[in-house]
Amino acid sequence: MPGISEEEIGRALDAWAAHLLQTTDAQQETALAIVGIVSHGDVLAKRLVEKLAAAGCDALYGAIDITLYRDDLSFRGKRPALRSSHLPFSTDDLRLVLVDDVLSTGRTARAALEVLWEYGRPESVQLHCLADKGGRQLPIQPDYVAFDLSEAHAKEVKVSLREIDGKDEITY
Amino acid sequence: MTDTYILNATWALTNERLDLRVGHGDESTGIILNDIPLPGVTAVAPAGEMRVPAGARTIDADGKILLPALFDMHATINLEGHSKRESIYRAGQAANRGGVWGMLVMPSRGFVFDNAATLDSFAEAVSERSFATMVPAGCITEGMKGEQQAPYNTLSARGITILSDGGNMPDNLLLLYRAMKYAAEMDLTFAIRGDVPALTRNTYAHPGTTSYKLGLHSTPACAEEIGIETLIRLAADTGARLHIQTVSTAEGVDIIRRARRSGMKGLTAEVALHHLLYTHEDIGDYNTTFKTTPPLREKKDCEALLAGLKDGTIDCIVSDHTPCMPFAKKQDFISAPQGMVALDTLLPAIYTHLIKPGKLTWADVVRTCCTAPAAIVSPYDSEEDTPITAPLLLFSPDSPYEVTADTLSCGTLNNPMLGTTLSGTVTLPIN
Amino acid sequence: MNPRKDLITIDALSDEDIRTILDSTSAMKDIFTRSVKKVPALKGKSVLTLFYEPSTRTRSSFEVAAHRLSADVTTFTVSTSSVVKGESVHDTIDTLMSMKMDYIIVRHKNSGIPAVIARHCKASVINAGDGAHAHPSQAFLDAFTIKEKYGEVAGKRVVIIGDILHSRVARSTSTILRRLGAQVAYMGPGPLVPLQQHTGIPRFTNWDQIFEWKPDVIYLLRVQNERIDSPFFPAADYHAAFGVTEERLRRIDDLDLSIMHPGPVNRGVEICDAAMDYRNNLINNQVENGIAARMSILYHLTPETQSND
Repeated sequence: MPGISEEEIGRALDAWAAHLLQTTDAQQETALAIVGIVSHGDVLAKRLVEKLAAAGCDALYGAIDITLYRDDLSFRGKRPALRSSHLPFSTDDLRLVLVDDVLSTGRTARAALEVLWEYGRPESVQLHCLADKGGRQLPIQPDYVAFDLSEAHAKEVKVSLREIDGKDEITY
Repeated sequence: MTDTYILNATWALTNERLDLRVGHGDESTGIILNDIPLPGVTAVAPAGEMRVPAGARTIDADGKILLPALFDMHATINLEGHSKRESIYRAGQAANRGGVWGMLVMPSRGFVFDNAATLDSFAEAVSERSFATMVPAGCITEGMKGEQQAPYNTLSARGITILSDGGNMPDNLLLLYRAMKYAAEMDLTFAIRGDVPALTRNTYAHPGTTSYKLGLHSTPACAEEIGIETLIRLAADTGARLHIQTVSTAEGVDIIRRARRSGMKGLTAEVALHHLLYTHEDIGDYNTTFKTTPPLREKKDCEALLAGLKDGTIDCIVSDHTPCMPFAKKQDFISAPQGMVALDTLLPAIYTHLIKPGKLTWADVVRTCCTAPAAIVSPYDSEEDTPITAPLLLFSPDSPYEVTADTLSCGTLNNPMLGTTLSGTVTLPIN
Repeated sequence: MNPRKDLITIDALSDEDIRTILDSTSAMKDIFTRSVKKVPALKGKSVLTLFYEPSTRTRSSFEVAAHRLSADVTTFTVSTSSVVKGESVHDTIDTLMSMKMDYIIVRHKNSGIPAVIARHCKASVINAGDGAHAHPSQAFLDAFTIKEKYGEVAGKRVVIIGDILHSRVARSTSTILRRLGAQVAYMGPGPLVPLQQHTGIPRFTNWDQIFEWKPDVIYLLRVQNERIDSPFFPAADYHAAFGVTEERLRRIDDLDLSIMHPGPVNRGVEICDAAMDYRNNLINNQVENGIAARMSILYHLTPETQSND
C-alpha cells in the first residue's frame, strides 16, 4: 500500500500555512477563521492556526461536526455518534477556510457549508483539504489541496494524525 | 351392552402396577372400591381372579394409570362474543382433554344463574352440547350486582347447591349476613373469595419486586385474609356452609386451619392450580396471561398452599378456568381482563408440575381433584333421582402433550403452558 | 449504538445505549448556542405526540426537540372525556398506523401502554411517562444534568424524596443513575416509600437520616395529589416533615448540595420559595437539558418505517 510519511505531511502543512499567509496578507481588513470538520479536519485546522500564530497572524479556530447534516441519515440503521461542534463566534463577515482531511464525493463539504450558514453569513468560504481522493458527485472543488491522489484511483484513503491516531500518515 | 375389560393398568391410588382388570357390567367376583364411586364399574379385580369372557372388549392399559376423572369446582366458561352453546361445547371439550368429567360453572356475564329460565335453558344446552357434566352455581345476588339477594328457593328447586357471585365478595356485609341466614335453612353452600373490595380496587399485582418495577398498584395480602376471616365469622354466626374460593396467601391458609381446628363445621376451601405453580415474578414484562385475581404471590405462599392441601386444610385444587379473548389479553396489563384457562391441561399439568416433582401423590390428587370437590358440590341427576358419580379415565404419563394453539380446545389462548410440552395425555371416556 | 426502535424503559437499554444517548445530548445542546437552533437530521420525518394525560411541559419539550431536528410535529389531542374506561388501545393503534408516523411519543395513566403500542407499530415509540412505571427521557435529562454539574455521574449520591410509590420519575431516574455508577436513596412518607427488599434502594423516612447519608444531590418529586385515589398521608404535614424548608436549605447550602425537581414545582409543599433561588438549584438546567436529551433520543431511535422501499 503506498503511503505518505510523517515528514512529507509536515512539509505539506508548512507549505499550506505559507499559502494561507500569502493569501491573507493581501486582505488584512477581514478576520480569518479556520474551521475543521470533525474528526481529523479539526486537528489539521488547529495545527494551521498554530503555525499562523507563530508567524504573527491571528486566525480564529473552529470545529464542526456535520453528522446531523448528512444526506444519508435516514438510510442508515445505526445512527453515527455525535461530537460537539466548537464554533464560539458568529461567522458573519468572516473569511472562512473550511478544512477537511480527505475530499471525495463532496457530500461532507456540502453538509459543512450548510452548518456554517447556521452560524451566520460569512464573507467568503474556501475549501482546503489534505488529500483529494477524486470521485466527486457534487459541483464542489477545493481551493487548496496538499496531496492530489485523484489520479491514484485509490479505493480508500486513510489519514492518521498524531493527536488521534498516534502518528501522522496517509495510506491509500 | 358389551362388557369392557381394562387390562394391565396401574391403579392411581396405590401407584402400584396391580395388573388390574376392571369390568363394566355384572361381575360378582371383583373387589368393590369403597371410597371411589365408579359409575358403570362394579368391580376391580386383580388379574387371574376374573375371567375375561370370550368376545368381551378389552383395553390394554399397560403403562397407563387408571383413576377416577376429575371434578373441577371452579370454572367460568363464558366466551366473549360467542353463543352460550359454543361456550358450553368448548368448555366441555377442553374438560375432557384435561381429565375433567364435571365442573361447577360459575355465574358470569352470559350465564347469570339467578332465575329458573336461565337455569333451564342452560341445562338443556348442556345436555345437547357438552362432553362434560356442568353444574351451575347460583348467584348470591340478582345479576351479581350485590344489591338484592337472588331467589334461593327457586334456585334450590332447580338443583342448585352452591351460591356464588363469580367469586366476588359483596361490598355490603349486611346483605351477605342476611343471605347466609336465609340460605342456611336450605343447606346451600356459599362459595366466595376472601376480599375487602376497598383494599383491592384498582390493584393489579402482589406487592413486591414486580409491582415496583412495573409500576402496578399492589394488592395487599391482608385484604384476602381479612375477607376470609370475615366470611368465617359470618358463616359461623349464621350457620351457613362456606367454601372459600382461590386462597392465595400463606396466612389465608393459616386462618382456615385455625377455624377448622376449632371445630367449625361446613367450612371448605380451594386453591387454584396457578397459585400453586406461579409467582408474581412470572408476570415478567407485563405478561397479561399471568394477570389473575387474586394475584400470583410469592414462593412461600405456593409452599404454604401445598402444605394446606397435604394436611387437608384446603380441600381441593380447582382450575379457575377463565377464558379471555386474545384481543382482550393483548391490551396493556391494567386494561386486560384477569384469568387463565386451565381445563385443557388440568391433569397433565398437575402430573407434570406437582406429581412428577414429588410435591403431591396420586392419592392427594384423587382426594383433592376427584373425591372432595364432588362431595362438596354433590352433583345430582334429578331425572334419575340419583347422585352422579365419576367415570374412570386412563392417563398415559409417558405420552407428551404439546400445548399449542391447535391443541387447546377451550376457545381462547390465555394458558400459561402454551408453547410448552407437558407429560401425559388423558383418555376420557375410556371406551 | 445498535439500531433500536423504541424507548420504553431504561432497563431495556444496554450500557452502550445509555452512554451514546448521553454523549450525544451534549452535542445537541451545542446547537442551542447558535443563531439557528435547528438541524436537518429528521427532515421529512413525522413525529406524533399522543398524550392521554395532560402535561404541557413534557409535551412542549418533546415538540421543541422534534422541531429542532426539523421533523414535522403533529399533536394528537385526546380529551380526557373521550377516553372511555377500558377502551382498547388497539383502535388507536390502527388509526396511528394509517397516519404513517415515524415517531410516536406517548403518555398514559396506565403502566405498560407504550409497550403495547410499540409492539404493534412500525413507528418508534417513546414513552413520555406511563402510570407509575417509567419516564426514560426524564431519566436521561436528569443524568445529563448531574453529569454536566459534576463532570461524572459515577460515585455521586442522590437522594430522591417524595411519593416514590407512585413515581415513574423515581423508578427511571434511580435506574439510570445506578447504571451509571451513582448511589441512590429514597426518602418520603413511610407508606409511599417501597421496601428496600423490593427496590434494592436504601429507604429513609426523615431528613436526619439523609444528611447522615451525605448526598450530593437532593432530588425532590412533585407531590401528586391527583394520582392518589385515597389519601396516603396527612398532606398538611408534608412541607414540615419532608419538604425543603428554609432551615434545611441553610444546611443544604452549607454542605454545597444541589437541588433537582422534575417540575412543575409546588412551592411551599416540596420546596420553600427561597430554595427556588438557591445557587445550586438545577431545575432550570433540567428544563433546558430536557430538550437536548429528547433530541438525542429522537436522533438515536430507528423507526421501522424508514426502509428504502
